[in-house]
Amino acid sequence: MGDCGCEKAKKDLEEYLHNELCSEEASDIRAHMENCVDCSDEHRVGVVLTEAVKRACEETAPEELRREVLAKLRRIQQH
Amino acid sequence: MAGSVTLDRAGVGLQQMTTAPSAKSALFEEQAMEHIDKLYAHAMRKTGNRVDANDLVQETYLKAFAAFDQFQQGTNIKAWLHRILENTYINQYRKLQNQPFYSPLEELEDWQLADAESRTATSSRSAEAEAIDHLPASAVKDALQGIPEDFRAAVYLVDVEGYSYQEVADIMDTPTGTVMSRLHRGRKLLREQLADYAREQGIGKGK
Repeated sequence: MGDCGCEKAKKDLEEYLHNELCSEEASDIRAHMENCVDCSDEHRVGVVLTEAVKRACEETAPEELRREVLAKLRRIQQH
Repeated sequence: MAGSVTLDRAGVGLQQMTTAPSAKSALFEEQAMEHIDKLYAHAMRKTGNRVDANDLVQETYLKAFAAFDQFQQGTNIKAWLHRILENTYINQYRKLQNQPFYSPLEELEDWQLADAESRTATSSRSAEAEAIDHLPASAVKDALQGIPEDFRAAVYLVDVEGYSYQEVADIMDTPTGTVMSRLHRGRKLLREQLADYAREQGIGKGK
């Protein structure tokens, strides 16, 4: 196997990013990206987008919520 | 459908059959409470505000506890909890919103999904990556909140929680093809909104 070409790479980049491809397909895409600036830049946008979403979605549950959930659970058990 | 994240499988393990109620709740607390930050983050993405997110998380825990006998020990409790949260949201919160609910935008017209790629072709992709990398989290949050709920949930569960397409299909109770399409479309819309934002703010122009 080897370089899969732009068309296939573009189609599968997102699945590649999400580790949804089999190892053979993934290595073909990697091989292609080594030779293709366009596709490797496109991949880079995908990676950065995922990282940005991850950063934006970090949350810590309020301590009060934690307490309230526990209190409700314990109240249920007493019935 | 059910798959690995069973809500309905009667997988009552020996452990549960032999434990007293208090031991059951101790087990539940021990296994479930550590995921509260993730569930809260999921709820924030679903509801978009803290008050409703609080309610949704509480409701999720109460339902999960009530159904805990059906949870199969040894399977992924976090995914099980995310699935209950999705169900709870659909059954209770979505019903209450009287905003026109655009049904999973499988129906979105193609012209509404202008091709992000063709837009970026004019500028360089590395500049786009640079811009996205420098956006404030608040802008990304707003953009996420601006895309359809089902798309957002798919993006959240795959990109943030790292679930596989199959796991998300189980959590959202949809075929994997639908997960994939929601994810593609969600990321595409997100990318467009972020590109617009960056352009307006002059981010990523190297100035």
